[in-house]
Amino acid sequence: MTELSTIFNIGLLQNTLRTATPVVLCALGCLMTDHVGMTNIGVEGMMLIGAFSAVMGSWVCGSWWMGLVFAIAIGLLLGLFYGVFVIKFKSDEFIIGVALNTFAMGLTTFLLRTLTGQSGTFHAPEGNLSTLPRLSAEWLNSIPILGDLLNNNTLLVYVSWVLVLVCWLLIYHTPLGFWLRASGEHPQSLRSAGRSPEKMQYLASLLCGMLSTLAGAHLALGYLSTFSENMSNSRGYIAFACVIFGRANPPKVFLAALLFGFIDALGMRLQSVGISSALTSIFPYLGTVLMMVLVVWRTERRKKKLAQ
Amino acid sequence: MKLRKNMSYLLSLFIAVAAAFILGGVIMALSGHDPIEGYTLMFQGAFGTQRASANTLAKASTLCLCGLATAIAAHAGIFNVGGEGQLYLGAMASAWVGARLTGTSPWIAVPLCLLAAMLAGGIYAWIPGMLKVKMKVNEVITTIMLNSAAIYFCSFLTNGPLKTAEKGVSAGTDAIDPAFMFSRIVRRSSLTESIFLAAIIALVVWYLMKKSTTGFQMKLTGENERFAKYSGIKSSKLALWSMVASGAICGLVGMFEIFGLHGRFIESVSSEFYFDGMLVAMIMRYNPVGIILMSLFFGAMEIGGAAMELNASIPSSLIVLIQSIIIFFMAAEQGITAAFQARRARKKAAKALQKGDAA
Repeated sequence: MTELSTIFNIGLLQNTLRTATPVVLCALGCLMTDHVGMTNIGVEGMMLIGAFSAVMGSWVCGSWWMGLVFAIAIGLLLGLFYGVFVIKFKSDEFIIGVALNTFAMGLTTFLLRTLTGQSGTFHAPEGNLSTLPRLSAEWLNSIPILGDLLNNNTLLVYVSWVLVLVCWLLIYHTPLGFWLRASGEHPQSLRSAGRSPEKMQYLASLLCGMLSTLAGAHLALGYLSTFSENMSNSRGYIAFACVIFGRANPPKVFLAALLFGFIDALGMRLQSVGISSALTSIFPYLGTVLMMVLVVWRTERRKKKLAQ
Repeated sequence: MKLRKNMSYLLSLFIAVAAAFILGGVIMALSGHDPIEGYTLMFQGAFGTQRASANTLAKASTLCLCGLATAIAAHAGIFNVGGEGQLYLGAMASAWVGARLTGTSPWIAVPLCLLAAMLAGGIYAWIPGMLKVKMKVNEVITTIMLNSAAIYFCSFLTNGPLKTAEKGVSAGTDAIDPAFMFSRIVRRSSLTESIFLAAIIALVVWYLMKKSTTGFQMKLTGENERFAKYSGIKSSKLALWSMVASGAICGLVGMFEIFGLHGRFIESVSSEFYFDGMLVAMIMRYNPVGIILMSLFFGAMEIGGAAMELNASIPSSLIVLIQSIIIFFMAAEQGITAAFQARRARKKAAKALQKGDAA
């Protein structure tokens, strides 16, 4: 019984929120491109570059918000880059995505070596990096569980919640969102209506780049306050899977990302009762595969029901 | 017509490679290194000595097998991004079988180890293949996830149940009988007899893809699944089996690493070998002959890059940058060439119009 309480406690839920947030942000970016009919698996690389640029920004300028500005600026550039290749040059999205991820690995490793002279993991020579601030509200502490859960998270955790709502409103309740969806579902109709589907696609890939690098910024400046090679560690791909699982609908994708965060956090908790960390690290990946199978199984069943 | 298309593709490839190398040189210069010196060191590192050339050839054979594994699946329209995991499991399975068979004749043991590697890789590829064919689950995501799962699983086995009791070995499984090991062709290089097996596999894959009826059916399936189905081809079965074949090849790559170099399973058996091979395959549009040639080029770059890092302290990750730049160019190749052609056609039409007006 004591073992159970070391696993299932408030810390588990706190960890869930922490690990889910980069995936939430990245998935929000990914679903934008999904709506305009582009499958962007390059979000993994964008997240990695985002983490790197946030750390560099914070280190050079000495403030976390400059880290965020760096990450967002680089994210917009990456989004434009992806857009030019896929929309203008009509390149294969899959190949560009894979190439972007390889490029990100090479670029961050190379720049880490040449800019800082360090390899593997970055340690700021002057001591600590400026990291994202944690927010708390006094009055929430009086509420038992909610207080612990909602207080003392980094800024981007709250931003990500707001963004889920904003994205949902944007996509389903504004004319712009309508055009975005139309450019993916029926580009010809959008063109006849006097709107350019390409412009919508560019917009989506810019947003995608920005949100993915923001996810990286949270990864690097949120709780770890460091950059290490390949620190995104397939989280971008997991975000992609969450988009499929949540049918590109922001609140549903958010829930999928939370589910992933829960599995990941559960794995980490199990290490404290002596289960090998290598074994628990498998959890989120196998969990994602199961999620993918589940979503297809669910759609198939729905289709069958409709047919009857 | 086909020849002309190939020639134009080769020309684009040449331009892309040259441009990527120039960009790489600019990056070197910007980071305070001499590009000429860097590239000279790289070339010497890849071909300077007999040992260096042997290492390049060994690297190329690994890349080539991984590239062919990507191609054989892609040919039938299914993307195997999970080769890395299949490689790890193949290596693990063969190392385990090899250690258990200590003392038996190599003529029995080595084929059994080959089989174990192929089975492990093949079965691990069968899972996402089955999910794709039967349930239409996106194989790109599942194979990527299964990569990480396999790597962590092997790490668990190496540090847990299968950890060797031998003293002085920090992390690894039990050693396999030295009699089973492939011997080295060039001393102190990583070129072993496994290259002959690799050549046979490459030949089989080339024949299968380009010369056999099965290969043609695979191509039809990959290009237009519905058409293939209506022509009476069992397309889902073909896609599944090419995925399994792809996984089996990856498993063998893992086995070659263990039986050629390490002598036991170690966690660092591969450093993303499969992804490098996949890039080669993508650049060559899954053409088997192209993959074989391009692997040599990429192999030389990687071996030379390591030498460059050692002698001039230019990070070898620069090579990864150059490689990905080549892919960016080649992925955009069709779009750019089409734009050029359209422009030329417009000019031609404008000229013809002018002539018409004059007459």
